[in-house]
Amino acid sequence: MTYTWLYAVAPAGPDASPWQVLPEGVADEHPGTVEAADLLAVVGPVPDADFDTDALQRHLGDPQWLERAVRAHHRVVSATVGRALPVRFGTVYRDEDRVRALLTAHADEIRTALAGIADRTEWGVKAYLDRARSDGETDGAGEAGDGPGRPSDDRPGTAYLLRRRTARDRAERALADAAGQARQVHLALSDLADRSTEHPPQPAEATGVRDPMLLNGAYLVHRAREAEFARAVAGLRERHGPALRVELTGPWPPYSFAGLPTGGDAG
Amino acid sequence: MSGGAARRVELDPEEVGRDLASLVLTVVELLRQLMERQALRRIDHGDLDEEQVERLGLTLMALEERMAELREHFGLTPEDLNIDLGPLGPLLSTE
Repeated sequence: MTYTWLYAVAPAGPDASPWQVLPEGVADEHPGTVEAADLLAVVGPVPDADFDTDALQRHLGDPQWLERAVRAHHRVVSATVGRALPVRFGTVYRDEDRVRALLTAHADEIRTALAGIADRTEWGVKAYLDRARSDGETDGAGEAGDGPGRPSDDRPGTAYLLRRRTARDRAERALADAAGQARQVHLALSDLADRSTEHPPQPAEATGVRDPMLLNGAYLVHRAREAEFARAVAGLRERHGPALRVELTGPWPPYSFAGLPTGGDAG
Repeated sequence: MSGGAARRVELDPEEVGRDLASLVLTVVELLRQLMERQALRRIDHGDLDEEQVERLGLTLMALEERMAELREHFGLTPEDLNIDLGPLGPLLSTE
């Protein structure tokens, strides 16, 4: 027996499937399409033994399985990019009829969502505290900050602790300042995007970067504004360079802006 | 950096000693940083008189110097002493 994994939803066109060949899916299956209410869902049959609630929970705890499956999901979704709403990873229905029922029941919402992402792609911008560079920038500035009651050379222990305190305060200020600049980056890019959202900052474990992540933004950008958006990111990277390291990724399928009423009913 | 993969496989006593030293020094360095942070907090709150500040400062400074000597002795860099705790981040602060 199989369940039905949902990848994406698109408007139905004259072709049964507008995609000549879809890549293999999360269970190495060949995805196909089902149609209802003038909408097309990209789906793949997946073995229920591997994709019922328990099995899926178990798999989600296995980083290797997860990475492979997420990549497969992304490959299929990417093949439909430009005309389809990507569906959240892990959306599973009992069978294709349930998917047709979903398309029919939510046809209007889906069409609205499709209109919202048409000709738009998602761009990701992450900003990290650039510790190495923001430290170098202010080096030496703190030495004068030992301030009132400056300890003389005959109190080296006190001088040491005050130096350490200055360094601590400087690090705290640098972090607060960089966080403020990350806000500005987000606001500036949100102005160029049709929609924007922030995801929780990822931990160092996920990014392999030790510096704290201060912005994990997603921006839905119209094709006509892509070049402008890229220029804006370059400009912001330049302006905030000493404090922040800004990374741009994309174009992505608009995962963050799909907003489908699809929770799945099997997974 | 002394000792490549081959030496590691042979469990060179020197290499084992170095790994152990790096582990022990990491723990000591963690404690030293915690003590220093606590000392700075107490100074912030004005809990300490001048003599206490001076003594604490000298102690922490001596500890830092000793740590640097030990690191050098075992050929370790400050980065070698940082254990990555995964979701909790690195064990030691990087400032």
